[in-house]
Amino acid sequence: MMMPRLRRLCAAISQKAFLAIALSAILLVSTGCSALAPPESPSAQFEQTQAETSGRKAPDAVAKEAVKGSSLNDFFPRSVAGYSGYDVVAAQEKKGFAQFKVNEGGENVAMLSINDTISNPNAATKYESSTRKIQGSPALDIGNNGTGVLVGDRFQVKVQSRSDRFSAEDREAWLQKFDFKGLAKLNS
Amino acid sequence: MAPVACEFAIPSRPKAISKESPLSKKPVYTLVDELPNKGLTIMSLKALDFAVPGAWNNLTGFVNTIKEVTGETDEALIKEIGDRAITLYNDKSEGYQKALWLYQTVDSASSALGTGMIANKATENISFLGLINKLTPKPEKAQSFDLTVKLVVELVAFCQINGIPGDSIGDFLGAVKDYGGESLMRMAALVCYDGLVPLGPSFAEKGLETLKQSSASDLDHNKTFKGVKELIPGDRDKGKLAFITESFESVQDWMLGFVGDRGLTQDKVVTSLSKAVDLSQDKLEYLGAFLDVGTNYYEHTGVQTLTRRLVERAAAEV
Repeated sequence: MMMPRLRRLCAAISQKAFLAIALSAILLVSTGCSALAPPESPSAQFEQTQAETSGRKAPDAVAKEAVKGSSLNDFFPRSVAGYSGYDVVAAQEKKGFAQFKVNEGGENVAMLSINDTISNPNAATKYESSTRKIQGSPALDIGNNGTGVLVGDRFQVKVQSRSDRFSAEDREAWLQKFDFKGLAKLNS
Repeated sequence: MAPVACEFAIPSRPKAISKESPLSKKPVYTLVDELPNKGLTIMSLKALDFAVPGAWNNLTGFVNTIKEVTGETDEALIKEIGDRAITLYNDKSEGYQKALWLYQTVDSASSALGTGMIANKATENISFLGLINKLTPKPEKAQSFDLTVKLVVELVAFCQINGIPGDSIGDFLGAVKDYGGESLMRMAALVCYDGLVPLGPSFAEKGLETLKQSSASDLDHNKTFKGVKELIPGDRDKGKLAFITESFESVQDWMLGFVGDRGLTQDKVVTSLSKAVDLSQDKLEYLGAFLDVGTNYYEHTGVQTLTRRLVERAAAEV
């Protein structure tokens, strides 16, 4: 026959065990549920932008004052010394924007672009943090693969690598060959 | 070399654009996120890998596309690029939505069957044998029209997306030689699935002959043309027919070169496709109709092309 103290002790232990099992089960279920819940789409971060830029009152993506894309073409280099076998091919031309591809042996190795930041001024303000210059204009490394220059406080000129073969030094070499002086005059 | 603005006048707002399919009302990121990774469209495009080896890798997902195109990994920069791409896409005057509408419409309008079958197509799980009994071979004339109209849609969509080419046809010819990735795959599918397979090795000649022997009213009876005519340059149907004829005639040599350089034959294409989609040789006559109904390769690769261009522009502008 079990002593009353021992019986109480056994009851206390079994209560604790029950609680521990119950808590573990709750934890397991909740962990399991969160693991089963669908992950948030990486695109969910764009929902606010979608709401702000669609619908009747959406702002224009490109400012009315932006220059014609065709007026930007003359300032791109068509070739750069030391880069024989590289082709410069027209890619896009829209209001306030022009872009060319640099291909080597048929492979796209870089993109050259000029955009009028009057449509998106944030693109220009980031150059306030620039600590170096290319052809006398503030320059920045942007991300892993881009180098940009702000010309005449308005036009962003960028070279972006599209191949490991096209390095940051290559980007700067091509930026040196844009006609920044001519481009700056568009802002006068 | 330098691009100039489009010379031909593309109607600014086609009447039909107000009847956009539900798909085109979706945010651009949803369109890209929902691109399938399997199904008949994907199988039939992969079956053409032998023609354009390694050109196409079925890039899907909006953020994934930004990372793949730019090589960038910084989340803040990716967000910035995505925001700008969405802003550009949502501004109808930028042309990206018109290009999408063209790609979607030419795919659905060229279908030999009605909208019920198109709705089923969205599930992407129709077997060839299940479908074949409901199909009838498309007449050669209708198939020829489809081929030529689809080619012109590519030209017009290209102009909408890129802002070039200048005098349209000549610059498009220059650009098409530089096509890669999903754009090259779309052209391969056009040449193979809308030309070589249903019309045989003289598909280009047949297409051109059909156009030259047709009147404007013949063209207007073609469903594919009717679907997209609002955005085809040219004064009334007669002018549009002339534009289609001129465009097709100009691109004919490129198409024949594409086939010749790669040694493509009807037999090779059908053999590759039959391995992919459980196709028996005795049903060959139905193949064109099957591809029309069972796949939407123009829309699929069209979404990929316009997203790539959007991302390229956004990454340059931020």
